[in-house]
Amino acid sequence: MRGLAGIAAFAVAIALMPAFVTSGYALNAMIMTLYAALLGQAWNVLGGFGGQFSFGHALFFGTGAYTMAVLQVNFGWNAWAALPAALAAGGAIGAAIGALTFRYGLRGSYFALVTLAFAEVFRILANTFQFTGAGVGLMVPLSERAADMQFATRAGYLYLILALVLVGFLVSWWLKHSRYGAWLQAVRDNEESAAALGVDVLRVKLQAIVVSGVLMAAGGAFYVQYLHYIDPHIAYGPAVSVEALLAPIIGGMGTVWGPLLGAALLHVLGETTRNLMGDAPGINLAVYGIVLVLMVSFLPRGVMGLLGTRRAARAAGDA
Amino acid sequence: MIHPARRTHRRRFLKHSAALAASAGALGFPAIARAQSGPIKVGVLHPVTGFLAYSGNLSRLGARIAIDEINASGGIKSLGGAKLEAMLGDAQSKPEVGVAEVEKMNQAGVSAIVGAYASSICLATTQAAAKYNIPHVVDVGVADQIVERGLKNTFRFGPGYKVITQDAINYFHIMNTLARKPARTVMIIHEESLFGTGTASLLSRELPGLGYEVKEVIKHANPTRDFNNVVLRIKAVNPDVVIPANYYNEYALLVRTMKQQNVQPKAIFSVLGGAASSFKFVKEFPDVANGVIDVNHWYNPQDKRAVALRKKVEGMKEFYTYEVFLNYQAVYLLADAISRARSRDRDAIVSALAGSTWGGHFMPYGPTRFVNGQNQGARPLVLQVLQNDIKVVLPNTYAQTDPVFPWKA
Repeated sequence: MRGLAGIAAFAVAIALMPAFVTSGYALNAMIMTLYAALLGQAWNVLGGFGGQFSFGHALFFGTGAYTMAVLQVNFGWNAWAALPAALAAGGAIGAAIGALTFRYGLRGSYFALVTLAFAEVFRILANTFQFTGAGVGLMVPLSERAADMQFATRAGYLYLILALVLVGFLVSWWLKHSRYGAWLQAVRDNEESAAALGVDVLRVKLQAIVVSGVLMAAGGAFYVQYLHYIDPHIAYGPAVSVEALLAPIIGGMGTVWGPLLGAALLHVLGETTRNLMGDAPGINLAVYGIVLVLMVSFLPRGVMGLLGTRRAARAAGDA
Repeated sequence: MIHPARRTHRRRFLKHSAALAASAGALGFPAIARAQSGPIKVGVLHPVTGFLAYSGNLSRLGARIAIDEINASGGIKSLGGAKLEAMLGDAQSKPEVGVAEVEKMNQAGVSAIVGAYASSICLATTQAAAKYNIPHVVDVGVADQIVERGLKNTFRFGPGYKVITQDAINYFHIMNTLARKPARTVMIIHEESLFGTGTASLLSRELPGLGYEVKEVIKHANPTRDFNNVVLRIKAVNPDVVIPANYYNEYALLVRTMKQQNVQPKAIFSVLGGAASSFKFVKEFPDVANGVIDVNHWYNPQDKRAVALRKKVEGMKEFYTYEVFLNYQAVYLLADAISRARSRDRDAIVSALAGSTWGGHFMPYGPTRFVNGQNQGARPLVLQVLQNDIKVVLPNTYAQTDPVFPWKA
């Protein structure tokens, strides 16, 4: 129960924020950080805990986003009813892709490339079919009522994304503390040994990609409700896939707090470089890129790894 | 006694919390600072990086020239000569970054925002600005939904997509009728996103009603770096008119490939053509640009101020594109509203924009009149590249010369 107390404290702290922070800028920054954390948590389930690096998590994001938008725009569903369907769609796509790849033993860069390719296939499909709005995309009508999962204040969106991130936290915590999580990490560390010890590798990986897909679809659903517009490039483009894997890689893969820490750091880094070099377009992105390269080179285990190393060093010093 | 493992966990949690708090602190919680004196802050928000960077930078240029001119000629006189101060924002070609920039601009106390070029970004920024009733002048963003959502703060000076395509269809029909109907068949080549797909479906729906046969519609990806197969197909179908609906690179490449393969329809006629109404295209590919007809945002060629601005922009070694002059005029529209509002207050500026009857611009729109945020007089013009220059050929009120149709190479 130890980690849970931390998660609960974090949730309470964020939930209390709107009472003290009225600045829309700060609230929007928190929302976008939590949103990036959610994408990171989703990727972390499969990539961090399961060791299956995906370059195409946009696949699940876009599926969640489009399910949310299509059900509301074309079928007149209420957003709250559409959300479970969007999550289910993300999970179903996860199961399908997992069945196609893991069954044939694809791993490492082969798995990464296949996910990238599937995301691209879906981008082209979304660009073609009329029910996804083809190239025009879909716009969810503006209706700022909680009953339509749209909120007139930023606080409403903050609670929504916080709730989703909490689910992500609970999943991560469960992976750290459950038998299933141990199997998954065993598969990550050495698939053959895990299989030899009786772990059903295929099943474990399939379950992980389904959970990962569901969480990522939640991110897509949130995006649609927050910005009300989705097109094939936003939904299935490579930008989202990269965003999803950056946070856990920077923060610390296979850890509970890594994605959130990574998302917060990336956000602060992005904002700082943007504010420092507002007038010279592009310089901020170059600086951002350089800092990322340095972080990945010198902190291969992410910021959580750095915290862990220092603790280990201190423990060694005490001894 | 506390178990050692438990202690480390708690310490780790404290450390995490501290890191989070530090990052929250770095985000900053500055109080809203809306000054009642000093310069009037105007948010200039465009995608100056990312895949829309070319257009975004030209948009920013147009807005900055206008702000500099207004300040040089004494600022906003009804507010004691207060100067305009541009707060530059970069949407990085992403809607969500545009929203973050609006929040930052609100925090900095801008009186209004001009931007944000692309429709998808405008949809997000106008709505974010609406939360604080920040007047938002949309510079380009042609998607009609931008002004159809009942946002009271949103004003679009230029024409929307429906007006532009409808006008294009009408002008096409007029032009063809005047030339005794040499064109009966068309072929549409379009890019895959909002703009190309929308144009293609509207044209293929409307043109048959006027007696034209749409022989084929070809969609291509962005980017496409080889049009040989598409042009072979055009050759096989042999339409009277080819209608491209794509961005600069693909447009230029398509037209060049047609030239190489010696495919010469009676006209290349486009709506908001990526390269057609661009001096860059005319300068880079004069041999293929000549004859191309396009329906696009354009200035009144008889207005000396438009010509003077062209000289100024070309003197800065930049191309005089619609991004430049639409943003230039959007800032002037805003300055007129601030001046009449006699206030830097957002509500007052919104009211002044809503009641705007500004005629001091060089666009072919007449005095402004906003209904639900859309300027009712906004219209595109028909342009043709003739003798290495872009000439207005329709409607007659603004025409510099007659259209050359059918085109003979």
